[in-house]
Amino acid sequence: MTDVLLEIKNLGIEFKTGEGTVQPIRGVDFFLKKGETLGVVGESGSGKSVTSLTVLGLLPEKTSKIVSGSIHFEDEEITHYSDRQYRKLRGNDISMIFQEPMTSLNPVFTIGEQLSEPLKRHKKMSKKQREKAIVDVLKQVGIPRAEQIIDEYPHQLSGGMRQRVMISLALLCEPKLLICDEPTTALDVTIQAQILKLMKQVKQDKDMSMLFITHDLGVVAEMCDRVVVMYAGEIVEVAEINELFDNPLHPYTKGLLASLPTNNDRKSKLYSIKGQVPRPNEIGEGCAFANRCPFAFDKCYAKTPPAFSEGDHLSKCWLQQPEGR
Amino acid sequence: MEDNNLVEIKNLKKYYEISRGLFKSKLIVKAVDDISFSIRTGETFALVGESGCGKSTTGKTLLRLTDATAGEVKYKGENILSLPYDKVRSLRSELQMVFQDPYASLNPKMTIKQILMEPLRVHNKFTPEERMQKIVDILEIVGLSKAHLNRYPSEFSGGQRQRIGIARAVILNPDFIVADEPVSALDVSVQSQVINLLLRLQKEFGLTYLFISHDLSVVEHMTDRVAVMYLGKIVETAATEELFADPKHPYTQALISAVPVSHPSEERERIVLTGDVPNPANPPSGCSFHTRCPFAMDICKTIEPKLKQVGNDHIASCHLYTEHKEEKEDAIIHS
Repeated sequence: MTDVLLEIKNLGIEFKTGEGTVQPIRGVDFFLKKGETLGVVGESGSGKSVTSLTVLGLLPEKTSKIVSGSIHFEDEEITHYSDRQYRKLRGNDISMIFQEPMTSLNPVFTIGEQLSEPLKRHKKMSKKQREKAIVDVLKQVGIPRAEQIIDEYPHQLSGGMRQRVMISLALLCEPKLLICDEPTTALDVTIQAQILKLMKQVKQDKDMSMLFITHDLGVVAEMCDRVVVMYAGEIVEVAEINELFDNPLHPYTKGLLASLPTNNDRKSKLYSIKGQVPRPNEIGEGCAFANRCPFAFDKCYAKTPPAFSEGDHLSKCWLQQPEGR
Repeated sequence: MEDNNLVEIKNLKKYYEISRGLFKSKLIVKAVDDISFSIRTGETFALVGESGCGKSTTGKTLLRLTDATAGEVKYKGENILSLPYDKVRSLRSELQMVFQDPYASLNPKMTIKQILMEPLRVHNKFTPEERMQKIVDILEIVGLSKAHLNRYPSEFSGGQRQRIGIARAVILNPDFIVADEPVSALDVSVQSQVINLLLRLQKEFGLTYLFISHDLSVVEHMTDRVAVMYLGKIVETAATEELFADPKHPYTQALISAVPVSHPSEERERIVLTGDVPNPANPPSGCSFHTRCPFAMDICKTIEPKLKQVGNDHIASCHLYTEHKEEKEDAIIHS
């Protein structure tokens, strides 16, 4: 198991709210191999961002708690790391690119000041060396006039440029794992194409692993090697990318793929999954998708299905139970 | 064909002025710069483009939610832009809008009943009992129920709110609806429900849509004709199927090729544009796309291309399709 970089086992998270506690993540299991791009797909509220924040130890301490499971990074358990231990990890071995390039840079510091922060923290470098390293990485991500940009402020850059700055910020210390939380959702399609191309190239050059969180199946098809599909705080399906698109097993994944406009005839009624994603406090016994599932039967409402696997293809659905079909 | 047009937009302009202080001249941002198109009765006409290209401004200007700088918008032969305000107000019962953000476009302090009652009250339609019946009917049409009447918007999910937004637009039985990115704030599984609803309502009520979107796969699915905008100008207009099969303008080609693939094994030749959209306050000279265009020629830097017929009901503005050699030569002499 040495080629596994990140492994999450049976992770459960609890949030305190005004009216009691909710469990946005229930029993999440997956692993990420070295050099792989793993996609995490799901709708808003499915728990994909919470999972990634947990890996970096970024959940608010006062209102959230890991109630079960463990996270291993490079064979070391990091689940109950202290803040100090996490600080050594963040930005160094694991970096993250956030969704909103507009709000994730600090508006009152220049680009250069913000980019030198991880280097100051993790690397012993002189000021000159730092500046050189920053200009180098900015050029790598295709920012023109890098020498001048380091003295400019975030508001002077466009959305696409800011996302490039965010990517260079994440790349500075050459992390082993890069977590991308919807990196292109806020961008226009032509800029999205630029950024995706850049990320593919960077990943190849630096031999990194990527955890790619998105709700866009098209982006997944383009970027990922394997995919984890999440629904309402649970993993419902894990499969290799071509396998997932050719042979989806879980009714939720089937529905998502079938509802893409490109998979329907023009002007025809789109296939759609009825109902909506349940709120975390509405989830009860049984399969979380049962109330929207066209194939649901009695057992689905009574008992949560375990993960059934067929080779590397894993799905949590009673229909996949070997003898019960 | 002329008679078939429900809405006709001619040379519409919307400029915003930005003050730069007392002693400097004002900066003019040409958000919508001299665009013309017409929407036929019963069709869905799409405006596509990247953020900042002026597509939403066009939608708002059409309904006079913001005043145009110049040009005309003819609705059933009448110029909306020159009508007195109270006339426009009463005309709005035929012209409605669905907004992008279902979280911001419903008043959080009004119940669903109040929200849907408002248009009926303003336009003074029906008796009070009929109004109530109408509201219940429309809720059922958009897939909600009587039980939701006394709830507040905060109790609904994004998809349900967008249904309420659509119900509010449709309740007056309008002829024309401007839908400004109606599905872009919704999750994938809910998005298809709302698209289906829009398609069904169009059939049932014979609606005409102006569909503003940046999501090309949705546009390809549900619209009849498309206009592509770039920096306040229309660069190409064509029937949807033709536009996706045979895009003429290099920007349209790049835009279509940039859409993510729908299957991992699909190989697509992608035109990745370099650079960003230029600042609309300081657009490039000549063709505004020449700074990012892979086919840019010398003429593109100096002379702005005019819209030319490039196919049946298909127009594009690009020098690649300019037949007149003189114009090109003229440009060379000038430069």
